[in-house]
Amino acid sequence: MPAINISDEDFLKFKEYFYRKTGMLFEDSKRYFVDKRLIDRIEATDSGNFRNYFNQLRFEVSGEELQQLVNVMTVNETYFFREEYQFKCLVNSMMDEVTRKKKDDSPIRIWSVPSASGEEPYSIAIYLLEYWSGIHRWDVEIMSSDIDTKIIAQARRGHYSTRSVMNLSKPILAKYFTPQAGGYQICEDLRQAVEFSRVNITNAVDVRNYRDIDVIFCRNLLIYFDDASRRQAAEMFFDAMKEGGFICLGHSESMSRISSLFRVRKFPDAIVYQKPWEA
Amino acid sequence: MAFIKKQQSSTETEDERQAPRDFEGLCEELNHADSQVRRWAVRDLVEMPNASSVLVDRLEHENNVSVRTGILNALAQLRDTVSLNGLIECLRSEDAALRNESIEILKELPDEVGAILENLLKDSDSDVRIFAVNILESLRHENVEKWLISVIEKDSHVNVCSTALDLLSEVGSEQAIPAIKKLKVRFPDEPYVCFSADLALKRIEEGSQ
Amino acid sequence: MKHILVIDDAATVRLYHRNILETAGYSVDEAINGIEALEKALVTSYDLYIVDVNMPKLDGYGFLKEFRRQEDVLQSPAIMVTTEAGNQDKILGYVSGANLYMTKPTKPNQLLSYVRLLLGEVA
Repeated sequence: MPAINISDEDFLKFKEYFYRKTGMLFEDSKRYFVDKRLIDRIEATDSGNFRNYFNQLRFEVSGEELQQLVNVMTVNETYFFREEYQFKCLVNSMMDEVTRKKKDDSPIRIWSVPSASGEEPYSIAIYLLEYWSGIHRWDVEIMSSDIDTKIIAQARRGHYSTRSVMNLSKPILAKYFTPQAGGYQICEDLRQAVEFSRVNITNAVDVRNYRDIDVIFCRNLLIYFDDASRRQAAEMFFDAMKEGGFICLGHSESMSRISSLFRVRKFPDAIVYQKPWEA
Repeated sequence: MAFIKKQQSSTETEDERQAPRDFEGLCEELNHADSQVRRWAVRDLVEMPNASSVLVDRLEHENNVSVRTGILNALAQLRDTVSLNGLIECLRSEDAALRNESIEILKELPDEVGAILENLLKDSDSDVRIFAVNILESLRHENVEKWLISVIEKDSHVNVCSTALDLLSEVGSEQAIPAIKKLKVRFPDEPYVCFSADLALKRIEEGSQ
Repeated sequence: MKHILVIDDAATVRLYHRNILETAGYSVDEAINGIEALEKALVTSYDLYIVDVNMPKLDGYGFLKEFRRQEDVLQSPAIMVTTEAGNQDKILGYVSGANLYMTKPTKPNQLLSYVRLLLGEVA
């Protein structure tokens, strides 16, 4: 069988189509990464070449193959306590400010997007249990969403490689995980603590049920979006949040390139963004 | 107290949309005291005919940033003459935030703005001419370089020329070189013009090698 | 060495101001708009800010207003630099928290004399 080749024109066509469908825009520097995954899918579907595959993709009614592609194109490299300074900021500053301003005893809502394989939402749960005394007084709802259904299933299972838990101390590992073939299994209590769901954050219908959120973690996702989709995502988060709620972006991301809707807030552990209070 | 999952009652958040979603009802909600209600009214109005003029009217006295952003996005979506004129009018606003937000929105409407850009570049207000050059930045219109060259050849205001020069140093080709050289002669007492003209010339020459 | 933050969305203007200030012996950081400026100013104590008015996302007035309400940050002086020569703009600049106001394009000598004045370096 001849090697499958993705021409410049193919890449361009695919890039535009994928952007229109998902809001994800690949820079030319991602070419190698995209080609490799496209070829994988062309082979997996026995399409033979790009043209056949692309036609099949565009005219498929179920949208199954598009979802498969989204699954392989989203990078899911993450580990427990990644960019830990923001979790410190959560327990040392944000949670206390959120509870101080609350008018009733309704649950505090935290939304972690994208969930990837679950390391981030579970890290939030562990941090709250270990380092935030308010957990004994308040109900906390941790929601976590991803566009990739396969990765969500993996997150729900809660099985992790040794590499993924490398940043956890021995006591924490012993307390929340059980060693298992090829890694660690997260405990049942934590699995029950997080509500996972499939959400495309650029789709208004998908996000309609996310309201009154106190803290959002959206790290290293918007870097894959172009300006217009980023701004749209920021608007969506704004509507999903409570006044005074906080949003944390990834280490290399800044609201200065995205939106003017949020205030910059400095805490001892981190700089985060806040939905302003109504004047 | 501990971790809980979404309860049925808490997922069903009340719909932000309260009043009837007809044109009159939405126009009324545009003046509601709660900014959240106004924001949702703006979103639903986008779907209605004749929405542009009520949105433009509201823009003039809307002081909540999130509602204002919503209206500007809505006008960009509507793209009709009324919306476009409303956005252009914002360039003359006393409010710096509104001016700058409308510049960002206008940058995303290359076809519509391209058609009226020549008029904006001749506006009597030098600040509006500067904003017009700012908008050119991301217009990706075939005439961009030609317009910029014409600005630095003819515009009498140093800051309009400087802004155009900044952009020429990014998008300019050898065609622009004579005009850039002449500009240095036109403003010999402005160190900034000389600095950015030299920078532009250097970049264009490097780029053509 | 005194540390100055130059805030302007135009790269050429930032470079021009950086050259003038570095030649005069100051160290310089840059920000492309008011939000990035806040992100930097809240973690680094600059000795002076040079602030453009018209910038996307957060303009110069917005930056100064927000910066001036931060209680636990060194409240260093700010020079507002703008293309707008109108009186109204100046008042707005001062109300927002600017200490001096300059009209673009700046001249090196004038800029440096303002900088030295605000940094208390004038004999």
